[in-house]
Amino acid sequence: MTLTEQTKPGSRLTGETKRGIFKTSEVRLMAEPTQAKPMQHMRRNPPIAGEAEAIAKAQAGDAHAFETLYSLHKRRVYSLCLRMLGNVAEAEDLTQEAFLQLYRKIGTFRGDSAFSTWLHRLAVNVVLMHLRKKGLPQVSLEETLEPSQDDGPRKDIGERDLVLSGSIDRVALERAVENLPPGYRLVFVLHDVEGYEHNEIADMLSCSIGNSKSQLHKARMKLRDLLRSGQRKESIA
Amino acid sequence: MSSSRHQQDRDSMNCAEFQERLPELFESGANVSQESHVQGCENCSALVRDLEYIAAQAKLLLPIHDPSPTVWNNIQSAIRSTPEHKTVTASSGKRS
Repeated sequence: MTLTEQTKPGSRLTGETKRGIFKTSEVRLMAEPTQAKPMQHMRRNPPIAGEAEAIAKAQAGDAHAFETLYSLHKRRVYSLCLRMLGNVAEAEDLTQEAFLQLYRKIGTFRGDSAFSTWLHRLAVNVVLMHLRKKGLPQVSLEETLEPSQDDGPRKDIGERDLVLSGSIDRVALERAVENLPPGYRLVFVLHDVEGYEHNEIADMLSCSIGNSKSQLHKARMKLRDLLRSGQRKESIA
Repeated sequence: MSSSRHQQDRDSMNCAEFQERLPELFESGANVSQESHVQGCENCSALVRDLEYIAAQAKLLLPIHDPSPTVWNNIQSAIRSTPEHKTVTASSGKRS
């Protein structure tokens, strides 16, 4: 018997799951206007051909359509999970959890935002929930987004040594991103790697657009610190 | 504040003031490298270059790769074991 004929995703769960309950305040939509384009930024989540039809069919219980949605979005969801966790097994577990939540909640998707943004918000919540379970069980989202003073970037006044431009490779940058505090890492990955706009990130993380911008700048500054210290170590060795 | 006054303020910024305003300048879409403070400050010029370089390099990080086929197999198994799936399966069996 196929899933196509037997299931009705979204028919049971509206705003709640066994493992992924979030307060309504954490999934509220932000009403702030879209801000000016950030530097050299290019949109990376354009509409996908056939996606709208697959969403409608999956909402009606078509398992083949759900599999199509999985195929279309698995790489980006998995990439987000892997970058946030740095561990293949955990990233696969959370990818699985994110798509199971999608299966349960797809009936609630109304198209108010792009599907990929909506799915990413769901995946981000799964990741944040996991991170809290691992080490920050009582910490609010705002605190998760704001690392401690020790983890933050420094102002760069009067340091005239290494310049990164042209000298870092993909591996070094990946490693530096892994070492960012989770809050910085999340905003950096969503904005600079995945191409989401600040208003979309604010929506996903239930923070203000200003907070998203501030976190991104701190993330880039911290990355610069990490990359420069890596270069210093290399030059000493 | 008039635009010329605004420009004067930007021209007279020191490093700390410039770096305080840097996120806003980046997000405004302005050509930050052409800011008067950057033109005259080697340190802030290097900072702007690095931050622009990091943002540009980040775009090259996608994609990683697909999750293993096990993930989809587990999703299918989990869906098949959901209560609503069993209910629908059972009622479907009675009808047939």
